[in-house]
Order: sequence, then structure tokens, then C-alpha cells
Amino acid sequence: MKEDTHLIMRPTEVNPEDYYVSGHRTCAGCGAALGYRLVLKAAGSNTVVLGPTGCMYVANAHQFLTSPYTVPWYHTQLGAGGPAGIGTAAAFRALIFKGKRKNEPVNVLVYGGDGGLADIGFSGLSMALSYDYEHLLYVMYDNESYANTGIQASSTTPFGSSTTFTPSGKVKPIGNERMKKNVALIAACHPGVKYVATASISHPLDLINKVRMALASGRPSFIHVLVPCPKGWIHPPEETIEIARLAVDTGMWVLWEYKEGSFSLSAKPTKRKDIKEYITKQGRFAHLRGNEEAIRYIQMMVDREWENWEEMDRTKKLIVPWVPSFQQ
Amino acid sequence: MKAAIKKQMWTGARAIAEAVRMADVDVIAAYPIRPYTGIMNALASMIAKGEFQAEYIVCDSEHSQFEAVKHASAVGARTFVGSSGTGLIYGTEAAIVTALGQLPVVGVVGCRALDDPGNFGMEWNDALLFRDVGWIMAWARDPQEALDMILAAYRTAEDPKVLLPHFIALDGAAITHVASPVLPPDKQHVEEFLPPYKPLHPLDPKSDSISKAMHVAPSLIGPEQRKVLDVAMKRAKNEVIPQAWKLWGDLTGRRYPAFMDAKDLADAECVLLTMGAYSKNLEYVVEKYRGKNIKLGSIRLRYFRPFPAEELKEAVKDTKAIGIVDFSYSLGSPSYGSILYNEVKAALYDMDTRPLIMDFIFAGGREMTIPDLDQATNLLIGAAKTGKNAERPVRWMTVRGEDI
Repeated sequence: MKEDTHLIMRPTEVNPEDYYVSGHRTCAGCGAALGYRLVLKAAGSNTVVLGPTGCMYVANAHQFLTSPYTVPWYHTQLGAGGPAGIGTAAAFRALIFKGKRKNEPVNVLVYGGDGGLADIGFSGLSMALSYDYEHLLYVMYDNESYANTGIQASSTTPFGSSTTFTPSGKVKPIGNERMKKNVALIAACHPGVKYVATASISHPLDLINKVRMALASGRPSFIHVLVPCPKGWIHPPEETIEIARLAVDTGMWVLWEYKEGSFSLSAKPTKRKDIKEYITKQGRFAHLRGNEEAIRYIQMMVDREWENWEEMDRTKKLIVPWVPSFQQ
Repeated sequence: MKAAIKKQMWTGARAIAEAVRMADVDVIAAYPIRPYTGIMNALASMIAKGEFQAEYIVCDSEHSQFEAVKHASAVGARTFVGSSGTGLIYGTEAAIVTALGQLPVVGVVGCRALDDPGNFGMEWNDALLFRDVGWIMAWARDPQEALDMILAAYRTAEDPKVLLPHFIALDGAAITHVASPVLPPDKQHVEEFLPPYKPLHPLDPKSDSISKAMHVAPSLIGPEQRKVLDVAMKRAKNEVIPQAWKLWGDLTGRRYPAFMDAKDLADAECVLLTMGAYSKNLEYVVEKYRGKNIKLGSIRLRYFRPFPAEELKEAVKDTKAIGIVDFSYSLGSPSYGSILYNEVKAALYDMDTRPLIMDFIFAGGREMTIPDLDQATNLLIGAAKTGKNAERPVRWMTVRGEDI
């Protein structure tokens, strides 16, 4: 495969073909579905896609025996994204090496949710990132909950979010008290990995370029994409992209890439917006209204972490951000 | 002049590894747990030395192991996997969807008791937990048969009429770790017996653009998805497995009855029945009792899935009593019997005259000795003669304390 990894600067340069098309029944305004379309555009036709259980499994077929994929696609179990990618890539390498298949490499893409890759399939993802298969990319679409089962907390659900497993109540006013796991930083800590990034559907060219860089990096790679979920985050479906952009503009979501040991921020808001602009637009944070202590804590967390992100951008090296836990 | 093939002294682990090499397997997924691990050690060593080429994936768990080979098989690779005991159970979810994906993965179970107490004895409950979900399951008697069964397993599993995953069960330690003479097959015979795997619908952009295992409403395909596996199992039983063993016998001269093996059955009044390595102990006891003019015979099932019910009915039609020598348990089951016992009872239910069926449970991984087998045999003979003991057909053997 000839690598063409020049950076795309204009929408007109983007591949006009779609490989994630109609024939699915995702919710209106589904961020994960919008992300799927962009990621597959970037990966191209020479791609096998593996889908761990999650929204992008259950919402993409069901009643009509239709498929939204024009490239080969196979389901894998909720915790099996890592080994599904490795097994697929290993098969291509073995068959090509042994002369049983034409020598044309194939992109292997695992598009899994935060439940699938940050929780139950975390071990398998880590195993996969320790290997050396080329053209193998794990994209984690992060809607910050187990959304298709009815919005249960995962380890990437942010502090202060109300979910059906972490509802806000009289004795637990905060809702989810755990802090969001930084999966991309953990992925970057696997020696040998050449490309790790975070992305957002509000920055489509950045996402597309990152997918292309990742698939051309020569090693298994990982991209963590934030995808708003109208059902779980409780916002109007037409605001999905706006919410995604606000996550970046408030600094709640940080766009960065780590390429062959060198860190850089992909978006540097000159003045970060107040996190209130982000959380007041979402019903999952509605219970925090009036809880100034909790809101101040979230703002402090973002500000403290940004000191680390900016230092990483200056030094090109990874730092693990740390903030004290919330004290009520 | 062709060099004559020499007999080797191989453990079951080594014999299986040699079979995997002969089958030119493409992708292997490994994770350690005794006693099956020796197979993966042997394969890793062969690959490191350049004796054969395969992608060898060192996994983070059995779940990943079984998922990795499932997906490699979907692309069109020939795959090998295995486990033992609790490890196999950890991979269960992946193993079940392998059958539903109609992927001809071949695996080995080095049978081992499930935890607790970190039990490393031999018991069948690990393998038998897979009895209902579409895996073909064969039990090898010794390293030679283990090698032959691996090759037959790929042939059977990959047959377009079947397309089911296939376990070979090895009685832990007794086969995996004990060396015995093995005659490796001739390379040409293997090539003739086992053509390269050609998947019908590989998951490859160069092939059709398929979407596999979509999330589809059960009302649309749920029953049919299971039914195709049922049909595949029947085809394996009626056509593909018998034909494979006939061809293997014709090629190598090493002939096996397809589904079950028997000793001194013709005039036997009492029959001991088991699977796997301990069938040799049964044969030894049969010889001993025959020396005392007691009409005892033995049966060894080679396949548990598909279960050879017709063959078994025919074999025991003149028998008074059958004693199951069983290394499994099934707590709370009918008669509180073991798994193999209840399978045999179900298989023989519609015979015109059914023999007495007794169950001798060797559960928990404690070694079965010849005196234990003698004791079981005497109970069986006594029950057949006098009807005594017949009201208590299920016996826990080797248990200290009362068998309540």
C-alpha cells in the first residue's frame, strides 16, 4: 500500500466516498455514527472493520437485515476489540507471508466504545498495543457511558455526570464521583507504539488526518474520539457538534497527538471558555446547578490539567496530569 | 529413495504440535495453563527454530486467545488454540460465537479439574461445558491418536458441509505429559488428506463486502442460526467424520473405527464404557476378568459431539449391564449422575430392552487405580447377576467417607 499521508487542509480534499452509509437506526444526532462515517472515509475501501458490542453494534442493523458498511465488517464480543484486531491482522500477515494471499496489506480498524475498550476490553487492547502489526488502528468512540444499555457509567464517564448507575440523589448529590480515565495517555505508555491521538467530531479534518497518520504509522495505533450522545448527555440532537466543540473550547476535552515519542497539542484555545458553558447545555449535569463547589472543582481540575497539557506541548514529553480528589 | 519414517517417542503435547506443523497452521494463539501449555511451548520452539512458519500470538487471556483465532479464521487463516480447566472457561464467550460464526477453529483441551482448590487433577467438566454449543468434540486415547485426530479435525471442521469448530480433548497429564511411540504420517498422505483451507466468504476487502454477525432481531434469524449448526453436526456425524477416518485408514494403514472402539464386546454380558486415555486401564481389567472366564468387555467413545448414539445402541444390544467410568460430575442432574452417564442413558432410552446402566464417578481429580476399577467392575457384575446394587446405580468412587 502506498502511503499518502500529506495533511488534508480543505474539506474538498476529503475522500468523497462513504463506507458507512444508510441502513442503520442510530439515534438522531448520534456522535458515534457521525464519527464512524469520518473514520471510514479516512481509512478507505481497503479496510476490514471490527465492531465490539456497543451502540455501534446494536444500532447498525437489527430489524431490516440491512448493513451500513460497504467494507467487510465483523462483530466481536464486548471485551474482544483488542484480540479481534490482532487475530485479523495476524491472519493477513501469515497468509501474505506464506504466499496464500496476494501481497497487498489491508487496514484493520477496530471501532469500539468506551465500555468495550476502556473497561471490559482494556486488557486485550493493551495486549494489542504491545504488538507490531502494521495498519492496525483502534478507534475508541467515547460517549462517556454504556449508552445502548441505558446510560450506565463507564470508566470514561466524567466527574459530576448523572447516569443510571450513578444517579444524583440526596446522599450522593454529585452523580458519578469517579474521574474520567485517560485512555489515550495509557495507550501512549506502550513502548513501541508510534501513534496515539485524541480527536473530536467537531474537528473533522483533524480526525481524518489522525486516522490516516495512525494507519500509516507502521504499528498498532490508538485514537480516542469524543462523541456526544443526545440520549445520554441529554441535549437536543441538532446540538451534537456544538457540544463537541464546546468540550474542546472549554478545555474539558483536549486534542493532542503523540507521534514517535513526541507530544503536541492539536488545538490550543487562546482563552478557554468557562466550563459552565459546556455543562449547562447538558441534562446529565443538571443536578449540579447551584452546586458551586462541584462546578468550581471541575473548573479547577481542567485548569490544573491544562498546566500539564501546555507543559507537554512545550517539552514534547508525556506527563501524567494529577489533581486532588473532590472533598465535599 | 525415500527415507523410511521412524517411530518417535513423543508426549501428547509434542505429537499435537507436530500435527499442527504438518497441517501448516497459519495463526496460533497461546496463553499458559497446565497441562495443555506444553503444546504451545513445543510450537513456539518450532517457530523460533524456523521449522515452520505461523503467526504466534502471546495473548493476555484465554478470552483474547479464542477471539484472536476466531477472527483470524474469519479472514481465512487455519488456526490453532487450546486451554485447560478454568482457563478454558474464561474463554467461553468467544468459543461460543466461534461456532455461531461457523469458523473451523481447531483447539485442544488438556482436561483439568475446575477450581477450587487450584485442582490440577484430571476431570472432564472443563471440556464438557462446551457440549451444547456447536463444537465437535473428540477424545484421544494416546499421542498417536491425538496427532491423527488433529489432522482429521481440520479436515472435518473445514468441510463446507460442516464448518464447525473442533476440540480434541486430551486427558490431562495422562496424554499431554506421557511419552509413547508415535509413527508420524507421510507428508504426501497429509497433503492428500488435508487440502488447504478455502473459506467460502473470507473477511477480506479483496473478496465480497460482507457484514458478519450483525445485530439482528432474533425474530428474523435466531432459530435458523442455531438450526444450521444442528444440520452441520448431523452432516459431520453421518458423512464427513466417517469418510475422513476411512480415507485416513486407506492412506496410512492405521485404521480407526469412526466413533467408538470396543474390546471383547461380542459375547460380553457386562461392559465398561469410557472415553480417552483411561480406556487402556479398562482394557487391562477386561483382559484380567476374561482370564477368569468372566464375560466382560469395554467400549471407548472417540467422539462425544456428535454423540454416537446409534453405534452405541447396536454395540450393547445383547449386554446386561453397562458401567460408565466417568471423570465428570453434574450436580443435581437426573439420578445425580455424571454427564457421560446421563448422555448414555438418554442415548439408550428408546431401545426395546435396555441394559442396566451404572455410573462410577471419578470426580475431583484423584487418580483412578486398578483396584478402584476392580471394585467398580465387581459392583457391575454383581448388579447384572443378582439385581443387587441396581437400585443404587450411581456411585462416587474413591471418595473418603460414606457415599450417601
